[in-house]
Amino acid sequence: MGMRKKTIGMMDSMMMVSKNKRVLDLMYKILKISIILLVLVFVLYPFLSVFEKALYIDGRIDFSEFLFIQDEFNLVRNSILSAILTALLSTLFALALSLMTLFISEKQKNIIMFILLLTMVSPPFIGSLTYIELFGRNGFITKDILNLSINPYGLWGIVSVQTLGFTSLNAVLLIGYLESFDYTVIESAKSLKATTTSILVDIVIPLMKPAIAVCFLLSFIRSMADFSTPIIIGGAFNTLATESYLSIIAKGNPGRASAMSIVLFVPSIVVFVIYSHFLKEQQRASKNLRQTQVRMKKTGLYHLIRLLALFFILWLVIQYLAIFTSSFTDKYRGETYFTLQNIIDSIPYVKDSFLRSIIYSMIAGFFATLIGLILSFYSYIMRDRFMKVVDFISNMPYIVPGTFFGLGYVFAFNDYPLKLTGTAAIVLLNLIFRQLPMSLRTIQNSMTQIEGATLNSAKDLGAHNLYILKDMIFPMSYSGLFLSFTNAFISSMTTIGSIIFLVYPSRKVATFVLFDLVSSGKYKVASVLSCIIIIVCLSVSLISRRIFNRSSKYVS
Amino acid sequence: MFLEIKNLTKRYNRIEAIKNISFTAEEKEIICILGPSGCGKTTILQSIGGFIKIDGGEIILDGEHVENLEPEERNIATVFQSYGLFPHKSVLENITYGLKFRGYRKKDALMEGMKMLEVLNLKGYENKKVTELSGGEQQRVALGRALIVKPKLLLLDEPFSNLDTKLRVTMRKELLRIRDHFNITMLFVTHDQEDAFSIADRIIVMNKGKIEQIDTARNIYLNPKTEFVLNFVGSANVDRGYFIRPEAIKLSPEGEEATVVGKTFKGFFIEYTIEYNKNIYKMIRLSSEEEFEIGSKIKIEMGMRKI
Repeated sequence: MGMRKKTIGMMDSMMMVSKNKRVLDLMYKILKISIILLVLVFVLYPFLSVFEKALYIDGRIDFSEFLFIQDEFNLVRNSILSAILTALLSTLFALALSLMTLFISEKQKNIIMFILLLTMVSPPFIGSLTYIELFGRNGFITKDILNLSINPYGLWGIVSVQTLGFTSLNAVLLIGYLESFDYTVIESAKSLKATTTSILVDIVIPLMKPAIAVCFLLSFIRSMADFSTPIIIGGAFNTLATESYLSIIAKGNPGRASAMSIVLFVPSIVVFVIYSHFLKEQQRASKNLRQTQVRMKKTGLYHLIRLLALFFILWLVIQYLAIFTSSFTDKYRGETYFTLQNIIDSIPYVKDSFLRSIIYSMIAGFFATLIGLILSFYSYIMRDRFMKVVDFISNMPYIVPGTFFGLGYVFAFNDYPLKLTGTAAIVLLNLIFRQLPMSLRTIQNSMTQIEGATLNSAKDLGAHNLYILKDMIFPMSYSGLFLSFTNAFISSMTTIGSIIFLVYPSRKVATFVLFDLVSSGKYKVASVLSCIIIIVCLSVSLISRRIFNRSSKYVS
Repeated sequence: MFLEIKNLTKRYNRIEAIKNISFTAEEKEIICILGPSGCGKTTILQSIGGFIKIDGGEIILDGEHVENLEPEERNIATVFQSYGLFPHKSVLENITYGLKFRGYRKKDALMEGMKMLEVLNLKGYENKKVTELSGGEQQRVALGRALIVKPKLLLLDEPFSNLDTKLRVTMRKELLRIRDHFNITMLFVTHDQEDAFSIADRIIVMNKGKIEQIDTARNIYLNPKTEFVLNFVGSANVDRGYFIRPEAIKLSPEGEEATVVGKTFKGFFIEYTIEYNKNIYKMIRLSSEEEFEIGSKIKIEMGMRKI
């Protein structure tokens, strides 16, 4: 990789000037302090600002903002109800999809993985958009095919859209877990004459328990924190997330918004603690070394699994077909016809936001990865105790709902000395630090491959810690860095929650424009925009996979 | 014949992992497939167990063709290299799992399980989690789980590879004892010569997907049919199609002269390098015997044999 060599060369010439140990030590410290400052200012401070806004009224600690829990308990109830239903359904479908991979060929599995990837690179409210187009009052399925006029809005609308959106990530997690399975367990059961149903019920599903729990909990938090789906199709069904959003956008009541965000945050942190516990258990699972496929008879429980999996895949495919067709068609007196008008209509919106979105996402991807690398170096490689605390703090944006983190930025940076509201910088910083936890995880995952002996050898030969970072850690975690950049890029391209309060109207990003379009009912143009976002993210993801596969040959 | 394998062939992406493998086994016999990694020995085991689909050949067990049956339809049990124990179940639950599919009532199954634990010297372990057991204990559980369903044939994939040297010796004895107790036919795969020599009635030496020789341990060692077998099993001096094992070089007053050019003390034996007829040979003498210094002349008898 030419780029890698060039970067190392550049770093080399920077450090050449200072072969002197004292200068290197000083650089090492400065780098460390900069990282600490960045994390404290851009993660911890905004986080605390939300608490301050909610609890600190007229110079005193006051819990009156939290009275809504009593007075408007239906909000809490609605949030929990929809989150439980979504978590149950999306875990159930994901389980069916993942178990299905035990019965199908590698090729069929790749097709399923591609379809799942599609949903993961789509903007979050794309489900709401197609839901309205297919099942809405003038929906294609409800009106044109079934000729019904039902009200699709409310609890079940939210649950079905969120289920469709969240199942994919769950399924990818579960499939990954199954791949790390010791298949001899299944083969042992087979050679003892166990039936397919017994193997699944007695062996496979019980062993998947930790992963299943992780999926359930993850979907639960994601559903609680999602405000865009209930806003678009919730109708009168309000949740904490929507109410918190409306409190700031429509009612101008930041205290109330903060208090609600904090209430949303509490279950998240509980779930996160359980999640990390399960994650540890999951990592203990044994690795499957043999590449042979397990062959189970397609009997018993298999039929139910196939039914659920096919239903879900079909539903997903219909959704993407709907988005695609609605970009190219329109209706006139009940007749649907092909047109390019939607694309022409979308040009001003695209022009206004797309390039900015891509540039923002690239910057966010780059810096999240850079900070992730340096922080991981201190906390994971050097095992610096204090930096481990900093590492933990940087993980907070992952736990808190997006809007929570966005609110924090609004409160923290609207005044001297760091008055950033309305600038591009605040959006960028928010994107960077929102992606940092994922970057840390990806990078540290690739760092597990680096052996302590390698680093000790370098030290033994007299390399300064900074040289270890440059000569060992950087090239050896290259694949992780690459993956981190791609993930952060895609995530930034499709995010809305954390930046919705920060984006200045004259500097709109693509998801923001899309959200506006969907909210104001311009579904056709919204479909075009969605398609473009999906195509951009999908291409980046596929290209990076190709490069990643090639580069991983060099990084063993 | 109790077990007959005829012309077994398996290809992975057109490359033949095993080709035209044929051998037989009698009832209660222990057959060992020995060979370097990648020689196709595990492929044979998996084909017989039914875990991979074969591309050709027949597998006949006790007069019944089984090559087209699913693993669960074959009367064959397998002990995997990693044991494949169910980590979320107790020792007793692991051992009795197979009885569930053979119409046993729960009470009877538990009783059978307890009997099995006794045979395996695992009494008192019934409620332990399998993850709490040592390697040797885990292996005994895996054996018990396979044996309780009374299979006609027991397959073992590298059964001792996860055990340390001392435990290996014990488990080899255990395995022989269990064979005698259950009167079962076993086929096991290993790359370790000592495993094969200690317990197998007959050994199949394999290389590159083909069988090199099928014979008793004694014949494999003393009368190797190919150069591969000669070198894979023990070490040898080879010269133009003739060979002699290092310990077969005899000292004899009437012998021919050779010079000691090197020696290494190896515990119970000493390995010498000697020069004879302008060739270099390896010779082994017990360390309790007379020792030679480097440079000294010795008289030897060299009965080279044709491979």
